[in-house]
Amino acid sequence: MGKVNTILGPIAAEQLGITAMHEHIGFGLPGCDLDTKWWEARPKMLEVTIDKLKHFRELGGQTIVDCTGIGTGRDISYWQVVSRVTGVNIVACTGFVSGDTVLPYFRDKSIEYLADLFYHEITVGIEGTNVKAGAIKCGVSRGGLNELDEKVYRAAARAAVATGVPILTHLSINADRQMDLFEMEGLSLDRVVIGHSDGKEGLDPARDFRIAERGAYVGYDTIGFDTEKGTPEVPAPFWARPRAERLDQVMDLFKAGYENRAIISCDANCFALGWASTEHSVAELLEVFVPELQERGVSDETVELLLVDTPAKLLTMRDPQPNLIKAAKEAVEA
Amino acid sequence: MVNSFGKSDLGIVNTVLGPVSVAELGVVLVHEVLVSKIPGAEFAPEMDMDESKQFNTLKQSLKEYRRLGGGTIVDRSGMFRGRNVKLYRALSKETEVHIVASTGLGPASMVGSYFTTQQTEPPGPMPLDRLSEMFANEISQGTVIPRRERTGPAGLIATEANKKGITRFEEHLFRGSALAAQQTGATITFQYGREPEHELDILEKEGADISRIIVGGLDRLESDARGDTFKLARRGVMVALDHAGWTPHEGYVSDDRRVELILELFAEGLGNRVLISTNSVGYAIGHDTAHQGFDYLLSIFVPKLKKAGVTDEQVRQLLEVNPQRILSLEGDKGVYKPQVEGADITWVK
Repeated sequence: MGKVNTILGPIAAEQLGITAMHEHIGFGLPGCDLDTKWWEARPKMLEVTIDKLKHFRELGGQTIVDCTGIGTGRDISYWQVVSRVTGVNIVACTGFVSGDTVLPYFRDKSIEYLADLFYHEITVGIEGTNVKAGAIKCGVSRGGLNELDEKVYRAAARAAVATGVPILTHLSINADRQMDLFEMEGLSLDRVVIGHSDGKEGLDPARDFRIAERGAYVGYDTIGFDTEKGTPEVPAPFWARPRAERLDQVMDLFKAGYENRAIISCDANCFALGWASTEHSVAELLEVFVPELQERGVSDETVELLLVDTPAKLLTMRDPQPNLIKAAKEAVEA
Repeated sequence: MVNSFGKSDLGIVNTVLGPVSVAELGVVLVHEVLVSKIPGAEFAPEMDMDESKQFNTLKQSLKEYRRLGGGTIVDRSGMFRGRNVKLYRALSKETEVHIVASTGLGPASMVGSYFTTQQTEPPGPMPLDRLSEMFANEISQGTVIPRRERTGPAGLIATEANKKGITRFEEHLFRGSALAAQQTGATITFQYGREPEHELDILEKEGADISRIIVGGLDRLESDARGDTFKLARRGVMVALDHAGWTPHEGYVSDDRRVELILELFAEGLGNRVLISTNSVGYAIGHDTAHQGFDYLLSIFVPKLKKAGVTDEQVRQLLEVNPQRILSLEGDKGVYKPQVEGADITWVK
């Protein structure tokens, strides 16, 4: 079918297998590394991370897309150890989780600069390595899509067109505007997952249908952030949902025949950086959520579609059009 | 380098190699930056992050400073703008220049979102008590090397306000700095934004000791026009004319005017509240700078002062007595006992 960039090199799309499209080895806001409150010895972090991914693997999982992006904990050499030890393919993202996470150096840069940066990470390598990103992350800041977010969206779209990798977004807030931005930059919406549609932040089930109708993918990808998991010590985060409610939302879209316009994933952190996560693991996708779908009558074919076929279709790099960035630059200069 | 706890009444200063007696500092440049990095530049493919180049450039600048009679340099950029205490320790050992690092954050435009926009509903900044704890621990336990260890301690708390006017988040940083100063006895230094008196009020209201505050950037054209330096010195803070060599073209008074201001301050009996420095950048990553190297003050500016009639004793006041007093932890109040004494590393876990 085609090529997918993983952190251990390119693989064939057929090698992806069961894929969780929106996960994190460890995400933290820029600066959290300076706060000793969150420090943990690397060997322990590694142990916890390996345990979770091994379990995912034992349940049949083969690939995760790590949606961490630039400056929020993306750590290629560390991830390579994790991938080698567990055998789980890891696809790294270029881009930024949201405008909020864009570090000062990049805040004032042009769309062209940011597109070049993402392009570089997809075609040359990330942070001085020859490890290439296989997807692009962009997202909505706290308080809604802002000017900086939009700049990143446009740059992400240009780099996606130029390289053929897909885009995954953080949050479905202002989904219509998100999709407009991609289209304005010439990106087909079947290359896009509008993420966290099942999260409580800005929840709007009617929006899921608009995303599907326009041909993008609905990201049901905060599975396992359940309100039921909150404890006095670690309360459920503000984006958590009651389990049954999330399931109802997903089933409503599926019943309308849009199983082919959704992805399912957990957004779980193997080891959260700089914030306290409730107990969570990508393994829950296969261990808890898929059986719940099946109990609701979802067929094996649909499960296969959600976990294997759609991810492979999304992650397979389309024919690149690398001259577009150059053409855009020339157009600006002219 | 041996740490010594001399019997000086002025107490001790935290350098990157551990606490030393103030008497060892000699001539001090109070407002300089060793490595100045726009946060995030390290992730840009076009940036050269070769630390050996940083080391060699800084070594040359520091050795020249030492040759001219310099003893100590203070890195006033806080904890998030390229500070590299491991590098500074190696440089201090190599050049025998004391290096004082700072903790603290600001301006808001140079801060990561962990500090400004935490994952809470609604989003908010890092709570005040956590902020002050983080700063205070960098002074009492050592500065952090992200997610690994603590190393040599910070010697003061540095912050900065937006030039268009202090932002709400920066007020929060000022308050956190004031609390950390009270917990540690360390001095606060800030580059003022738009209204230095108002910004000083924020620190004072939060309980900071006014005699333990340095206000920097007071040789900007507009503060000269307003007479800020005199008003603030009379209030009892340390005023820093800390852009020697900068020009009206860059928004700062000329050296001639700077010299005049110093003469006027001495004439008014405020000479014990004045600091001078150059705000040079030893090594810039991700931005341009016209002011590199640390030789200007001693080789060019001090001769200008002397030519204008400033006495050797007054120069000593500006470059030794005043900085030593302000950098000593707790000033005249007694000797502060840090928890680390220049240990190479302190593992956190």
